[in-house]
Amino acid sequence: MAISIDERVQLRETVRDLLQARSGEQDLRRVITTDEVYDRDLWAEMGELGILGIVIAEEHGGTGLGPVELEEAAEEMGAALLSSPFLGSSVLTAALVDAAGTDADRARLLPGLADGSTIGAAALTGPAGTWTADGVDVEAAPDGALTGAARYVLYGQSADLLLVAARTADGIGVFEVAPDAAGLVRTRLDTLDPTVQLSDLSFAGTPSRRLGSAGWEAIRRALDLATVALAGEQAGGARRVFDLTVEYLKVRYQFGRPIGSYQALKHIAVDRLLDVESAISAARHAAEALERGEDVGSAVALAGFTAADGYDRVAMTAIQLHGGIAFTWESFPHFFLRRARLDRQLLGSSRDFRERYLVAKGA
Amino acid sequence: MPEYTTDPETLRAEVRAFLEANWHDRIPETPMWEQRNAPLTEWKDRLLEAGYLVPTWPAEYGGRGYTPELAQIIEDEFKAVGAPGSNEDKRSIPGNTILRFGSERLKKDLLRDAITGRAFFCLFYSEPGAGSDLAGVRTTAELTGGRWVFNGQKVWTSGAMTADYALCLARTDWDAPKHRGLGYFVIPMRQPGIDVRPLHQITHESHFNEVFLTNAEAPAEYLVGEPGEGWRIIQTALAYERSLMGEDRRVVRHPGVDVDDLIGLARRHGRLDDPVLRQELASVIALREVNGLNNARAKASLEPGTSSSVMSLGKLAMAHILHGEGAVRTSILGAESVLTGEGNPEADTVNYEMFSAFVTSIGGGSNQIQRNIIAERVLGLPKEQEADRDIPFREAKGN
Repeated sequence: MAISIDERVQLRETVRDLLQARSGEQDLRRVITTDEVYDRDLWAEMGELGILGIVIAEEHGGTGLGPVELEEAAEEMGAALLSSPFLGSSVLTAALVDAAGTDADRARLLPGLADGSTIGAAALTGPAGTWTADGVDVEAAPDGALTGAARYVLYGQSADLLLVAARTADGIGVFEVAPDAAGLVRTRLDTLDPTVQLSDLSFAGTPSRRLGSAGWEAIRRALDLATVALAGEQAGGARRVFDLTVEYLKVRYQFGRPIGSYQALKHIAVDRLLDVESAISAARHAAEALERGEDVGSAVALAGFTAADGYDRVAMTAIQLHGGIAFTWESFPHFFLRRARLDRQLLGSSRDFRERYLVAKGA
Repeated sequence: MPEYTTDPETLRAEVRAFLEANWHDRIPETPMWEQRNAPLTEWKDRLLEAGYLVPTWPAEYGGRGYTPELAQIIEDEFKAVGAPGSNEDKRSIPGNTILRFGSERLKKDLLRDAITGRAFFCLFYSEPGAGSDLAGVRTTAELTGGRWVFNGQKVWTSGAMTADYALCLARTDWDAPKHRGLGYFVIPMRQPGIDVRPLHQITHESHFNEVFLTNAEAPAEYLVGEPGEGWRIIQTALAYERSLMGEDRRVVRHPGVDVDDLIGLARRHGRLDDPVLRQELASVIALREVNGLNNARAKASLEPGTSSSVMSLGKLAMAHILHGEGAVRTSILGAESVLTGEGNPEADTVNYEMFSAFVTSIGGGSNQIQRNIIAERVLGLPKEQEADRDIPFREAKGN
């Protein structure tokens, strides 16, 4: 479906309005005390509004939009620090079904992901946490029995649909595991960022069913799309915590004047403004590259480390410039740093993205 | 006066046909400090006649009264064939300043020559005592016998040896506060009261000069705007200068020596397998690519008559890029980077580029001043208190 500029703006505004109303700081503080770490009502509403089906084709109940709209929506989610399975379920799992599954798999699995009635989780890396082929630590026997461990699985505890990357005799494949399968143990991880749910999955002869015949390349494609969404989230988060910080510099007085009038702080703020703008540019560029199918490797890698490192610097700076108040749990900036620290590791490290970028540039 | 089309597609076809018929040869580019370029001036004469040189300007000054969108079509078509000169209305510092603020006599005398490059302008801004604090200039302008008379010293004046005119910030009133006692002038360079002495730079070049003004003169109508308005006017001129400094600047130091291709340089020096260097290379190459993305995004979102935070960051970002590239090149060369001179063309070029990065990080407003400006104008942070802001300049400390 071709979408007009108006509809694009509208989607972005829909997400923004919804999250401003329903994912404020107080909502966030409430949600992190729940076991599931997301707001079920908000999730259902996002499904009804078509937000969860952004990257899913209309024939499977989705909105049928592309990477550009995904990235825009992700910026709004990042700005709101939204707690939800969106990245793991609506993006990564949906893209993986699309990339690895058969037509029958798509028809069976995508509609539930699109309306949010199914929560999907993709277990693509082992304890190494690299999201690379050599980081996969699950073996699949010829009959589909899985053995091994997967880590850092987004919303693995809540998932009704589990997709697992596992080694076979002929390379890595994608396997579907029932949430109540024998020998599957899901363990909730204690995370630095309390606004997210991460799990360990262990498999001991756990029955599974291979999804299509695709290998790591299909996983790579799904990871690329998810990296674009993640970069959007990082860019949006960086923008928001930067704006909060600049506002604070204007209202906090010391020595009889706003602290933002001191050059020592102004100069730091301007350097972070460049980080914010660069994160936004890199994330949007990656989305456009994916949409056009050109220079995908280079653009995704560039967004992967530019947005991740920029968000981290901006969030660190936000705490420093807020001063002592930001060292308290009641303050807001530390939640952005926690998210930045999580996002910087998810789907691959900045170091690996830089290496991938350099290879794409011919080195 | 000719009727110009306002239909984008008709205009595009017209420009293409013009370039097809007239654009044959490359015009050799010259660095900004070697301004004279006769073939380029002849080309610009033809563009002025055709209405392409300053398309957004009014027709009476050689423009077409176009919107920025229409002018962009002309610029795009020129860029597509590598032809220069279609956007002097964006680039010319003297042209734009005189058009906006100059007297009728200044426009008549100089506007055409300024945009065709027939007349060259240097900038009398900085002084030994007024660098970052440009409003603290002490060169004095006095109206005597119907002419302006100037006394003082200017520095960092590129092109002063060859320039025909100078754009000069000078003090017209020592009893007004710092920013309110200034005038902005055009001064003819070829006169006995102006003494130009080249500076020996850290690059061993001499593109910059110091200039001594001893009873130098200019006609009364060569004051741009009113006395006391100099600070407001120079802001416009500086904005043009800074936007040009955000652009890339590359000079061939030794023919055949390419240090711009960082990956190639690392490969030649057998360093491409070094994992630490690979990380540095990726970071620095990314800075340049992201800066390009930032600029493209700023341009795309720019409404006519507005500015963008990303655009203001361009010069700061470019300084960061040039210094970053300099550091990586030095790291690739290792011990060889201590060498210089004709016998070591690669090291010589690397070190030249390393020094030259300071032109962008200090010139036209240092990085630190740029950060102040962006913090105040883009982020809306409060201004630093200035001890000499609202008192007569005569009473300010340091004078």
